[in-house]
Parts: sequence; structure tokens; C-alpha cells
Amino acid sequence: MARRYDTRTTIFSPEGRLYQVEYAMEAIGHAGTCLGMLASDGVLLAAERKNINKLLDDVIFSEKIYKLDENIACSVAGITSDANVLTSYLRETAQKFRLRYKECIPCEQLVMDLCDIKQMYTQFGGMRPFGVSVLYMGWDPHYGFQLYQSDPSGNYGGWKATCIGSNHAAAVSMLKQEYQETPNLKEALALSVKILYKTLDSTKLNSEKVEIATLTREGSGDKAKTLLRVLTAKEVDDLIADYLRQVEEKKQEKERLEKEKAAAAAAAAKSS
Amino acid sequence: MSILEYNGVGMVAMVGKECVAIAADRRLGIQAQTISTDFQKIFRMNDKLYVGLPGLATDVLSVSAQLRYHLNLFQLKENRDMKPKAFMNMVCIELYKNRFGPYFVEPVVAGLDPKTNEPFIAGMDLIGCPMEADDFIVGGTCTEQLYGMCESLWKPDMEPDDLFETISQALLNAVDRDALSGWGCVVHVIEKDKVTTRTLKARMD
Repeated sequence: MARRYDTRTTIFSPEGRLYQVEYAMEAIGHAGTCLGMLASDGVLLAAERKNINKLLDDVIFSEKIYKLDENIACSVAGITSDANVLTSYLRETAQKFRLRYKECIPCEQLVMDLCDIKQMYTQFGGMRPFGVSVLYMGWDPHYGFQLYQSDPSGNYGGWKATCIGSNHAAAVSMLKQEYQETPNLKEALALSVKILYKTLDSTKLNSEKVEIATLTREGSGDKAKTLLRVLTAKEVDDLIADYLRQVEEKKQEKERLEKEKAAAAAAAAKSS
Repeated sequence: MSILEYNGVGMVAMVGKECVAIAADRRLGIQAQTISTDFQKIFRMNDKLYVGLPGLATDVLSVSAQLRYHLNLFQLKENRDMKPKAFMNMVCIELYKNRFGPYFVEPVVAGLDPKTNEPFIAGMDLIGCPMEADDFIVGGTCTEQLYGMCESLWKPDMEPDDLFETISQALLNAVDRDALSGWGCVVHVIEKDKVTTRTLKARMD
């Protein structure tokens, strides 16, 4: 039944769905996970590296995290070649804005611009949509730190914390419970490691499998600058080690309490 | 009067021992009248690359913004700093694109190679004919005076402090013999680990 309405992007199905767009989102559901989180003093993006083949050449800056301009970076999930085209476009748009207005592009404007392009591919031309979802993190003087997500349909939203790629539904539902009031960057890093650990396919998480980037502001007043940093392998390993240590401590605490309970119960049984 | 002499400028770049220096005056005038004494004509492209734009002031502003646009895109895509020679080539191409309606600037590029720290200076005309030199490059309305000063004062392998003195004297004395340039000078000395920017006390006339 669906077959009749899904070969062209530009037509609706009888149920009012755009199948090609939904198939594109399916494609993204198989790609490496990407997690974004907003903190009070920064934003972070954590991305799963799927291509950890020994034969692959060294990565220069980052496999999945792209710097778009001084104040914005993004991470992608989906078809990498589509993502490359989109990031080139995003970079050009940001620079064109800078040339015209001599200031950095506000985050939402950049996201909107790309989403308008993505939407065109769902309505005109008969070409397939881009199979990419993008998480943007940025800072601008209008709204401070921001996190956005866009998908192949051209929809976008501002988020406090979100996830795209494989197992994103599990991650998002975990975030709903764990992310309460706005954490600071350290807490956000710890929380994101925790979420990734639970949602990633692989059994053990290490710095080879995940890359984390943070966006913060340094300095004050006129001299303030936005700093984009990809965490070193050691820093990521340290975060993971901290998390595992916490898990271990909790486990031991639990065992201790249970032992006490059992002992108390045994003592009560004895005395009665 | 030539359109390149409308606003008035004196600019010079020199090569030293593992360093380069680029200096310019600060006057912005409308023919004989001085409008501003703090007009920026040298622009930082990255830590080791500066470009000076002598010529029509409006084109100085436009070309510097355009160069920033191209350089930023390059650095984002390639994830590395642009080499001075490649930057010079890019400026030449961009200027030639407007061969029959040119920008009225004659850029001076000064920098160190990002990896080897080899000094590099170059100048070009308004339609992008490049000229690399291993001693000095001059630009602006007082080039004749600057050629004379540089030819007499420059010597190879000067240390940064010596280079600063030499380039300052060359510029100060040359602009003093030109009505359209002067009113203060700015000097950038680019070494492999730092850039020192100094403003010179000059004749304010």
C-alpha cells in the first residue's frame, strides 16, 4: 500500500505522510549516536565514533564534530556525504553573514537557513531529502548558549538536551528523567557519559569510541571569546573512569545496606 | 589626481631574521583634508599573517572583509592556517576577478610560514600582479620616499628589535616628506611565538 506513495518525495500518502522523509529518518536511526546537552556555562556535544577501523588514517580535528564559525559547531548523524555538503553550506552561510554584517551569525538564523534548504528537497525538484540530522551548539549575544536539532524534513527545535542516531529514543527518555535543573558543564559532562554508556551498542565505552566537544565563553566584556574545544582522549577516559567509579561505589553501598538489613533482620528474628 | 591617492597612505613591510615587520601610517584624508588619525590599514588574518591595504579607503574596508571571508572558509575546511604564499595567491586571484572594474588597493602581505616560520613578504598591484621580495615591500602615496629610505636602511638578518627600529625610521621619515600620509604610525613585528604591535609618536602634520 505504501509502495504507491513513497517513490517520489514530493507527494503525500493518503494518510498524510511523506514517506521519503520518514525513510530518511530511518536511515539516521542506523547511524552513530549523537548527544547534545545545554549547561549553565556552556554546551556540549558527544558523538559516537562508528568507524574505528584500525586501518583508517588518523582523524584531523574530529570525525563527527564540525566547527561552523567562531561561535557555532555542529554534530551530524546520518549519511556522511550528505553531511559534508550540508556543513560546507552552513560554513558558507555563516561567513556570508559575517561579510555582510561584520558580526557572527545568530545560531537560530543559521539553523533556520539550512532547514529552509532541507525543506526544499521535500517539496521541489524530485530529489531525495538529505539523510542527515544535525545537532547545533552555539553562543550568541541574543540568547546565550543554545542547542538545536534539525532533521531531514526541515523541522528544527531548540533543546535543553537531546539525542539523534541509533538508540536515540532510549537516550531521550533517560534524559527526560535525569536532566532536571540546568547543570553546570562538569555535571553535564558526567551525565552525558552516563547516558552514552547505557545507550551505546558496544559493551565497553572508551575514548576511542566517543568524542566530546564543549563550547564555552572565556573572558569578559569586550574581550570575551567563544571557545570550542574537543576533549582529549585522556579527558574522555577520565570522565568514563569517574562514571565507572561512581557505579562501583553505588553498587558497594547497595551491597552494604543489604548486608545491614539482613543482619538487622537476623538479629530481630533471633530476639523474637 | 589618481584615485589611489585620494585617501593617502604610507606602508612598508620588511624581512628580518626569522621575523617580519609591517608598518603603516594612520591618516585617513579626503585629498588635502585630514579626517581621522586612527584609520586601520593593516589587518590580522591569523597569528602569523598580516595584510596591509594601501589605497582607496572604501576598498580597504571591503577587501579586508572579503579576504577574511575567504580565509575563514579555508581555515574551517582545511583545519589549518593558510600559508602566506597561498594567501598572496588568493588575493591576486580575487583582485584579478575585477580586472575591468578593480578594487583600488595594492595589498602588501607579510607573514611567517605556519610550519617552518620562514619569513615571507609580497606586494601586488591593484589587478593582482604579485611581487615577492626578500628585503622590503613598499606601498602607498609615498613609495618613492619609502624606496629611498628602505634601500639605505635595510640590511639582511636583522633581529626583531633592530628590525623594528629600521622599519619605524624608514616609515616615519618617508611619510614626513609626503603631504597625504603621516599623522601617526603603527608597526607590527611578527615573530614565531608573538606579535608586538607598537604605535609610534610621529609629527602630527
